[in-house]
Amino acid sequence: MYPAVAGDRLVPLVVGVGIAAWLLLALGLIRWPPLLGWGLAAFGAEYAIFLRLRGGSVDSRVPAVAAVLLVVAELAFLSAGGGLEGADRALLARVVGALAAAVAAVALLADLLLVASGSANGSLSVEAGGVLAAVLAVAFVIRVASRSRESTST
Amino acid sequence: MTRTISPKLVAYVCLAGVGFVAALALRLEELVVLAAPFALLPAVSLLLARTPRIDVTVHPERERALEGEELDAQVALNAEQGTARLEVLLELPRGIGVASGDNPAAISIGDDDRRELKLRLHCERWGGYQVGRVFLRARDHFGFVGWEWEVDRRAPLKVYPREELVRDLLRPLETQVFSGNHVARQRGEGIEFADLRLFVPGDRVRYVNWRASARRGELWVNQQHAERNADVLLFMDTFTEASRDGRSTLDLALRAAASLTARYLQQKDRVGFVTFGGMLNWLLPATGVVQLYRLVDALIDTQIVLNYAWRDIDVLPRRTLPPKAMVIALTPLLDDRAVGALLDLRARGFDLVVVEISPQPFMPPPSGQISTVARRLWELRRDALRGRFQEAGVPLALWNDERGLAEGLEEVTTFRRRARVVAG
Repeated sequence: MYPAVAGDRLVPLVVGVGIAAWLLLALGLIRWPPLLGWGLAAFGAEYAIFLRLRGGSVDSRVPAVAAVLLVVAELAFLSAGGGLEGADRALLARVVGALAAAVAAVALLADLLLVASGSANGSLSVEAGGVLAAVLAVAFVIRVASRSRESTST
Repeated sequence: MTRTISPKLVAYVCLAGVGFVAALALRLEELVVLAAPFALLPAVSLLLARTPRIDVTVHPERERALEGEELDAQVALNAEQGTARLEVLLELPRGIGVASGDNPAAISIGDDDRRELKLRLHCERWGGYQVGRVFLRARDHFGFVGWEWEVDRRAPLKVYPREELVRDLLRPLETQVFSGNHVARQRGEGIEFADLRLFVPGDRVRYVNWRASARRGELWVNQQHAERNADVLLFMDTFTEASRDGRSTLDLALRAAASLTARYLQQKDRVGFVTFGGMLNWLLPATGVVQLYRLVDALIDTQIVLNYAWRDIDVLPRRTLPPKAMVIALTPLLDDRAVGALLDLRARGFDLVVVEISPQPFMPPPSGQISTVARRLWELRRDALRGRFQEAGVPLALWNDERGLAEGLEEVTTFRRRARVVAG
């Protein structure tokens, strides 16, 4: 949706790729789950065409786009895998929590990557997010390392 | 335990790869940002994934139930090492349904955690079942890796058929030597008056008929009919059945057999059964509560076994039939081998009663002219078959949805009464 609305060149092409992406996603959800990956790739392609046609500086909305794409992917694969039928409240809360954490992590990661690549255009909020993401990434690496150490000792 | 990689992992890795290559080719750093989560999420998930260690026990509320009853079953899960998402499926055999509760259920279970899943089971059909095999599927946080395994904690669950209303039981033509509730033809100790005879030394004074003695001027004594028990053999035709919407002629036969067994055993009769079909199975007559349980347990294991090897069998082995037994055959009269065996029993002098469990309610209505004619011909052939039984002196009771079992048995009693009058 976003590339189709924000673009100003070759809009029909972008819109066409977007519609194809939606169709593939719908077909994947309704009948052929292997098409889900193709649908997501088509969304990526739509965004790539938009970026290529747009030119100029780095798109500052890329963290949001990445987060939304991840949410779409997660929900689509969850639905294709049978959804949460028969799930208790604890599991529902856990799934929602994990998804929210993943989305937040993606947004922070995107910030981190933008800052690291020097494309943040000096925006204070983006730079702060990048620093926070770096701290969280280090904390996560430490946690994983300690966990794998525990499992090897047992 | 089987470890599986989900298609989602493949899709994510491919998306990440394509995204990175496209970013390099098109020189778009935004695509790196877009593709990075699809690479990092599986990597993180695989790093955190641990093989679950979960112990499962299944506790059905009880081992026995009646058809149509409900009972609780509890699946207890003890996790030494938990998992983010666990799907639990309790395998239920056909005939046992879920009245309430989720099956399969999806839960989250942590380390050193204990969860209990409660299911309310509905016993839809009689039978001997094994309940307790559980299929489990664990997944990591984002569903990239899965573990599948099954736990077998099966315990027997016996579902007994509902009882059918039976007012009066069929009286056997011949009785046995042990005391019981049937008035025998033989004379002996009993209540029912049979005849008078002259007094002989050794007769007890209480049997002297003083009125007859005074009239004839010599001592006459009363004679009574002895009260004896009988041997009842239930013959189940298991060659074939007609079924529709989860009901079958075998269901009705079994319900009738269970009801008759209980009633005859209450009367101190000896009851046995023989299932004659793809497999021959029998239980010799005996009496008592133990025999009731033995019979009903054996009955609920009855099933239709197709056997094309026994094409010519139409004779029951002699060992399975005690002499002078009343044989009550519960049959849909659909297989010639069963019909042949029943006529052979009659020819061997057994007191045979046929309860025909009509297959007609289980058949779809005929559609079209040819189908209607074919159905009519089939009905005429069945009428002819019934005629063969009646010619052989075998009472035949028809039991279907419109006529209860009690009504059918009453018809047999009437047939016997009429037959006796004609013979006399």
